[in-house]
Amino acid sequence: MFFLKEETKVITMHPSYFGPNMREFLIARLNEEEEGRCTGDHFVICVMDMVDIGEGRVVPSSGSAEYTIKYRAIIWKPFRGETVDAIVTSVKPTGIFTLAGPLSVFIARKNIPSDIKWEPNTVPPQYTDHADQVIEKGTSLRLKILGVKPDVAAINAIGTIKEDYLGALQGVYQDNEATIAAYAHASMTLASARDS
Amino acid sequence: MQLRLPPSLHYPITVTSLLKREGDTVERDEAIFWYIYQTTVEEGDGLGNQVMVKRKFPTRFESTVDGTVVKWNIAKGDVIDEPVDVVEVEEPCAHEVQFGGMCAECGKDMTESTYNTEISETFRAPIQMTHDNTTLTVSEKEATRVEEDAKRRLLASRRLSLVVDLDQTIIHATVDPTVGEWKDDKDNPNYDALKDVRSFQLVDDTPGARGCWYYIKLRPGLEGFLEKVAELFELHIYTMGTRAYAQNIADLIDPTRKLFGDRILSRDESGSLTAKNLQRLFPVDTKMVVIIDDRGDVWRWIPNLIKVVPYDFFVGIGDINSSFLPKKQEIVVTPKSSRGSKEKGKEKEDQEHHVNGATMKTGPETEVSALEQLVTMGGGDDPRLLQEQADAQEETIMHQVEDRPLLQKQKELDADDDASADGSESSSSGDESQEVARPRHHLLVDHDTELFQLQDRLEAVHKIFFEEYDKKRTHALGGRVAALRGEKAASKDKDVDLKLVPDIKDIMPLYKAQVLGGVVIVFSGVIPLGQDLQNAEVSLWAKTFGVVVLKNIGKRVTHLVAGRNRTAKVREATRWPNIKIVTTQWLYDSLINWRHMDEDPYLLPVHPDDRGEPLSPGSRELVDNSWMSSSDEATNVTDDDASDELFKDAGLSESSPLSYDEEDQAAVHDELKDFLGSDDESESDSEFFAEEGAEPSRKRKRGEGSDGNADEESTHEDGDEVDAKGSRLSQRIKRSYERSTGLRDVATPGGSETEETRFEKGQFPAPDDDDEGEAGVATVVGDKQETQSETAVEGSDVDADDFEREMMAAFDDPDYSKESGAAPTSTDQG
Repeated sequence: MFFLKEETKVITMHPSYFGPNMREFLIARLNEEEEGRCTGDHFVICVMDMVDIGEGRVVPSSGSAEYTIKYRAIIWKPFRGETVDAIVTSVKPTGIFTLAGPLSVFIARKNIPSDIKWEPNTVPPQYTDHADQVIEKGTSLRLKILGVKPDVAAINAIGTIKEDYLGALQGVYQDNEATIAAYAHASMTLASARDS
Repeated sequence: MQLRLPPSLHYPITVTSLLKREGDTVERDEAIFWYIYQTTVEEGDGLGNQVMVKRKFPTRFESTVDGTVVKWNIAKGDVIDEPVDVVEVEEPCAHEVQFGGMCAECGKDMTESTYNTEISETFRAPIQMTHDNTTLTVSEKEATRVEEDAKRRLLASRRLSLVVDLDQTIIHATVDPTVGEWKDDKDNPNYDALKDVRSFQLVDDTPGARGCWYYIKLRPGLEGFLEKVAELFELHIYTMGTRAYAQNIADLIDPTRKLFGDRILSRDESGSLTAKNLQRLFPVDTKMVVIIDDRGDVWRWIPNLIKVVPYDFFVGIGDINSSFLPKKQEIVVTPKSSRGSKEKGKEKEDQEHHVNGATMKTGPETEVSALEQLVTMGGGDDPRLLQEQADAQEETIMHQVEDRPLLQKQKELDADDDASADGSESSSSGDESQEVARPRHHLLVDHDTELFQLQDRLEAVHKIFFEEYDKKRTHALGGRVAALRGEKAASKDKDVDLKLVPDIKDIMPLYKAQVLGGVVIVFSGVIPLGQDLQNAEVSLWAKTFGVVVLKNIGKRVTHLVAGRNRTAKVREATRWPNIKIVTTQWLYDSLINWRHMDEDPYLLPVHPDDRGEPLSPGSRELVDNSWMSSSDEATNVTDDDASDELFKDAGLSESSPLSYDEEDQAAVHDELKDFLGSDDESESDSEFFAEEGAEPSRKRKRGEGSDGNADEESTHEDGDEVDAKGSRLSQRIKRSYERSTGLRDVATPGGSETEETRFEKGQFPAPDDDDEGEAGVATVVGDKQETQSETAVEGSDVDADDFEREMMAAFDDPDYSKESGAAPTSTDQG
């Protein structure tokens, strides 16, 4: 579920940024650090606006300045029972791996309708009921989240498509490959940004 | 699931009431029955004294699982003395598949734990079996199910699994930017070879190599190889490169993902940076898995492995992803190329100053001891080491990018050419593909044929496997058809019986052992001193082909593999007509080609000075003893020639039944002990010799029967009586008596009394002579014969001939007579 949440963050500024464009620097820094971040509890989707940028306070003995910023951001906190759309990233005999935006959701074989069977001999391998339902890499799925588990800097979720109106989405044409690649790239950049 | 009492309860306990009935639901941590236990506690008695009293305490037992009670195994009033299953609870979900700490089926958090938790729920699904994901774990049951499905499918389509390594097995990668420049430069001598080199850029790979270009050379024939092999095998990639690297390579070699699909395992998911583990992909069983890799050590030489020759196209680059692996033991296999000898030498020289980080670190000494390697392997969890290795990896990449090893080499090569152009034309002798107009040498030559051979081998393995399977199946089918006569025969496809699947781990070694089976080799100048002979890279490799590796030259040795000429072992081997002295190249070529190569082209030219005298049959046995001292397990197989001779002497074949029972043995044993008991030797020693002596004595006894006594008595009288029926053995002993005067001194250490009693009994003089001789020799400290006699004692087959010779040798030795002279009993006839 999406929320508009007010949060505060302390940003430390190097003295070299002190000057007339300070405010822009601060906002740019905030956006860079916050957007796309996963707190382990929710994902920060977008920083909306600044509520208040506090007065800078020079930290003794370093010369840097600390700003306490109050801002509003759109966050997404996945809940149990929530229905989301996701894209299949890979299919395995044990189940289906999907990405719902930044959230990785796994659908175990038990949570796939029993008429949709694992079919390893096709290229790429797929889950199919040998009719209109074909789930392979890149397919759009509608699934229901069964459980969410926060981790240090990620959230894992498991989902099900064993209910009415869940499963492969027909008629939704998307460039899913590109989307997956974009997500993968984004998460990688995030990861490397975190590392460095 | 059966709910079991924990061992921590205060047993015995008495059940007082059950709180749940069958069919009730229970939750975790909910009380399911009451019980009382008794214990002694300290209490005040109200007068300020502390008294120990026995008390009963009622307690609740709480369930550790959710579910429905199916059946109680206990009833009210039961007294329980030990941990037992108390109740069967049916769980709604067994949590067999878990994803990121959650049950993937019910969504419960598996990492939760309370005071009541005995084993964390996560242990219910400990196995990772997905290629590209480490957060998904499954239980053993689930893994078995998935694997069996896969096996059924493979058997139905008559395929096996093949795990393929990338670096230096099917491709060769480098980050040296020189390659890119040469590739675009039509005039470069390496242009031809580089034409089909592919490249890609990894943006976020290792921190040091952001945005660096990787140049990939596919092994010649790769496309056809993969296509053909994919018909017989399901292909998996298992690489020590990063995920992104593996994906990119997969895109190059398999753009449609027809061959590999998603079955790619990289170092990010491997779980270990130092070793590859087949259980990571096939947790339950690996019966149908074949591996191809250029390194055996990372797989610990498991029998599923087919070791291939490393593909070394970018000369001297090595494996760019090997920094985390234990250092490679260098095996310099000279490529069977058409290049001139000069260039060959050049290349060898180059290999010594690799710019590759892995070899850089080792510096001048490229050899690494097994221990060091183990330490490196085991150090996978050490973060400091990991960091070091990560740095090394980074450094490798950086070095290649900056130092441009290939460019350096080409320059060297060019300089070399210039030099030789002035002198002779010898350098251009072998290189046919060389351009006429430009007399520059290629640094990079594309002549590898390993994949073609590999394909044949894989096809052969596949064929043998399914022949075996069919054989087993028709066998089983026949039996079943007979049993179920009249019933409709099951369709062939359905009848995939997993129990009948043969094991590749049995089939491959058998097949490979045919190649060099029966070959017994000794290395000389190949494995550096101090390195474990049996665990050296080349020994392990050779052993997978049925080769037996020994330490010392001996009778059974068929080949001496010499790394250089004029070693002591070469000298020794020349004395054996049956040992072929070959260069290491013979062994490598045989291993590479899976063929027992003809030795003639590989024979080592032996320096004339080193040619020793061929061994005479007699002296050979002397040497035999020396190899028995080697600590190999192979030496347990002693040759029975000596004892055979003994049997023949005694008029027996080896197969003739020996009606020698325990009673006889005990009698002989006692008698021997009697007379040895008076010896100067310590108790344990005499026992030992008595044991040893028992064997020859019994052989003699069998052979000569009752006449033996008389003969032997006569030999003892004075040694000049003609022995009419005496066997060769007794004759020999007699001869030895005649030759040496001091013999009897030794033979009668206990004084005349013992001698007399022995003569009265008139039994086995021969064994006691042997024993004495042996004992005497063994006591000569510092004698050069000592080693031999000791080994003879150690050997299970003690033969008379050896003793005789040793006795004689010992008697000839002045030291010995001094010693024996010092012995207290220098009596009579001497």
